Amino acid sequence: MTSTTSTPPSTAQRTITLELFRYHPEQDTEPRFQSYEVPYRDEWVVLDALNYLKDEVDGTLSYRWSCRMGVCGSCGMMVNGTPQLTCSAFLRDLVPGPIRVEPLRGFPVERDMVISLDDFMVKLESVKPWIIREVDKPLSEGEYLQTPSQLADFRQFTMCINCMLCYAACPVYEQEEQFLGPAVIALAQRYNLDSRDEGNDERNELVWSKEGIWDCTFVGECSAVCPKHVDPAAAIQQAKVEATNGFFLSFLKPLGRR
Amino acid sequence: MPGPLPRRSSALWWNRSWRYRVFLLRELSALFAAVYMVLLLVLAQAVRTGEGAFEDYLEVLQGPVLLVFHGVALLFAMLHTVTWFQAVPKALPLKMGVRRVPGIQLIAANYVALAAASAVVAVIFLA
Repeated sequence: MTSTTSTPPSTAQRTITLELFRYHPEQDTEPRFQSYEVPYRDEWVVLDALNYLKDEVDGTLSYRWSCRMGVCGSCGMMVNGTPQLTCSAFLRDLVPGPIRVEPLRGFPVERDMVISLDDFMVKLESVKPWIIREVDKPLSEGEYLQTPSQLADFRQFTMCINCMLCYAACPVYEQEEQFLGPAVIALAQRYNLDSRDEGNDERNELVWSKEGIWDCTFVGECSAVCPKHVDPAAAIQQAKVEATNGFFLSFLKPLGRR
Repeated sequence: MPGPLPRRSSALWWNRSWRYRVFLLRELSALFAAVYMVLLLVLAQAVRTGEGAFEDYLEVLQGPVLLVFHGVALLFAMLHTVTWFQAVPKALPLKMGVRRVPGIQLIAANYVALAAASAVVAVIFLA
């Protein structure tokens, strides 16, 4: 390193081309693509390039982002056709470009890269992703205890950051909007498997329905693109096994309790 | 003011990546398995009818179309086996105490079981 410190910086700055999906509903009837040159830097991610463009070149660019460290789940976009968190998509992995950036597939587009979250939020709430108790224990009796083994049953599914990359990767969701989808089912499973929870029956009426797990054809792409290794495809297949067992076990129960 | 751009879907979704195409091939493999099962049932019926019918059916099976079919069906059966076994750790995770049994071990166990079952079949039919 010491021998190179005296080298003057190169005058010919390297650049890379970004092709951005543009759609402004007040002026566009159809989306269009707009190309921009941005400086190339080894340590830059696609989100850095977008921030550079919005700050220095074109303030009308719209996109969501927040934490820049793969935790908030806001900056998911299609990068060269694959759903990715743009804060984790390094330019150095996408050279020589051009890099095509589009909003997440399968969602209505509000503006440029900003998609409508409504469908996802409604579905998320519909599976009641919180701990349900038949009778709440009074605070004076202390917390609900859980062993490490019981925690291990669902811990992986708690890692979801609601970034919706799995929805953009899912061809079933693309074709059938009513499909509950990977992340929502994984989160339902997260609470169903929690030893402190007693809400399985409330959730499974929806989760075990056609629009729930049975729409899934196990393409597996949701798990391939998940930035937090939640493995929603595994959650759905496990729910299918449980639903099947539940179906056959129900014949063994007394009639009144089915 | 006009609203958001409605969601879109493409019938050519499978053309986007090789992983989607492998999925379609995996699903298609069921079709070949089903046709193979029909051929197997016809074989059983021929055996039941008598030696003449059995010999005739063997001749039919050696025709070029059915030979090619069996070759293709074998490839699809292998694809189905590999993808099915890969799916096992996802659908049936196994826990030993707090720790998950690594997926690779579950997959390996399935191949061992396949080898054992094949050996039993081989002993019955070749011995």
